[in-house]
Amino acid sequence: MRVGRGRLIAYGLGAALIGVGGAGLLRDAAETDPVGWLVWVAGAALVHDLLVVPAVLGVALLTGRLPTSYRRPVRVSLVLAASVSAVALPMVLGLGRRAGDPSRLPQAYGVHLAVVLALIGLAGAVATAFRAIRAGRGRSRRPR
Amino acid sequence: MLRRPDPARLITAIGRFASRERDGRDERTAAWLGAALGVSFTVAFVTGLISHFMQHPPGWAVWPSRPVGLYRLTQGAHVIGGLATIPLLLAKLWTVYPRLWQWPPVRSAGHALERALVFPLVGGALFQLVTGLFNIAYFYPFPFFFTTAHYWTAYIVYGALVVHVANEWAKVRGLRPGHGSADARPTGPSRRGFLATVAGACGLVGLTTVGETFTPLGGLALLSPRRPGVGPQRLPVNKTAAAAGVRPDPAWRLAVTGDVARELSLSLADLRAMPQHAARLPIACVEGWSAAGTWAGVRLRDVLHAAGVHAGARVRVESLEAGGRYRASEVDPPHWRDELTLLALDLNGEPLSPDHGYPCRLIAPDRPGVLQTKWIARLVVHGS
Repeated sequence: MRVGRGRLIAYGLGAALIGVGGAGLLRDAAETDPVGWLVWVAGAALVHDLLVVPAVLGVALLTGRLPTSYRRPVRVSLVLAASVSAVALPMVLGLGRRAGDPSRLPQAYGVHLAVVLALIGLAGAVATAFRAIRAGRGRSRRPR
Repeated sequence: MLRRPDPARLITAIGRFASRERDGRDERTAAWLGAALGVSFTVAFVTGLISHFMQHPPGWAVWPSRPVGLYRLTQGAHVIGGLATIPLLLAKLWTVYPRLWQWPPVRSAGHALERALVFPLVGGALFQLVTGLFNIAYFYPFPFFFTTAHYWTAYIVYGALVVHVANEWAKVRGLRPGHGSADARPTGPSRRGFLATVAGACGLVGLTTVGETFTPLGGLALLSPRRPGVGPQRLPVNKTAAAAGVRPDPAWRLAVTGDVARELSLSLADLRAMPQHAARLPIACVEGWSAAGTWAGVRLRDVLHAAGVHAGARVRVESLEAGGRYRASEVDPPHWRDELTLLALDLNGEPLSPDHGYPCRLIAPDRPGVLQTKWIARLVVHGS
């Protein structure tokens, strides 16, 4: 396969950026702790590939057994709920709170997350009901 | 008798199992998500570099002091955009996950290199989003200093992304109407629904956090680590006076020294006797939140002119804080000459609270919050 000039330039640029980043990490080793850094980069990939995705696969296979009209709204609700929960988790745990600075993480994140999840659940239930009614109508109209 | 498992069969079986779920698992979905990620990582990289070089300006670059809210915008885009990228990245990885389990693992030297580069791309991208999220939540379970590690990792991730995009460019080009097959738009109930769901997840994350910097949506900021209007004098605080080890001192004086015609030593009453000016300016934090306050005090340029400085001078603003990475900041000519740049004494109609820098703090337009030095003790003028 012939490699075009544009692609060669991109390879050069990419390699240069990776080189700059790697050299910087090593130069500032006192602050970046390259071994600890590598543990976190590799750890992030491993946790994702061996825990997060298999868990999602499990949920996907379970929800795959639902009737078609339920499946999509349930899955959409679960994706939305998981996304906001993942982002909110560090705030909900509140490990970054500091005594004497009440403006830092000032909200009741557990309650707020519950409200957002309840709204997602409600929207999902409405969508499911709507689809079920529409599917029922379609069936009754079909000639016997 | 148990036989040793055959890796080829094992990997192939895992790959087959992983691809049993079809939702979101086609090449065009991967290409659409990849294009979106290319945009969001470019925004994050560029805004991150802006933030870095604003704080560590190279000799040849001078940052403008206008527009007033430029840094507020770029850093808000960096942080809220980064949060909204979390579902996007996870969706993209879901789409291509079965390829992790291909057999043979490598087919050629080129293929080996391509796969090897997926590791810094995927691991590095996850690292950036996870550490960024932890940082805005003030949660530091890792052994490295966040800012430095996040900064250098950005080059590695973006470099790996450039190589990856070069390899996959043909697939992205095929998305344009009139290119590739007639199936170019994200059609089909499954693909369109999947992409819409991902877009919804990104939007929901953005909607529940963006109010920490975009005040009109402040009421929706249910999950943001800061809330504009919450804090002493209705403004959030990052470092309190107690954390900085600073106590109010009735004998406080502001020293103006260095490359000046006459050194000054000004009491709070001296500063109050000078012409007072007010400015509505935001504290725009590197952590993405921002909130505006009405500040009042003396123009920095009035004090510097009273001491006699040359037009190209730079000023180091030093805090009463004994140590810490941000105890001093540099003010370049565009900022100290700006009429909005104040040595603030009041916030929202009252004298500064100790946590906002009493008796005197710097407030300037288009400047990261960590450089709006609090508890000022000295202004040291030096050459350009």
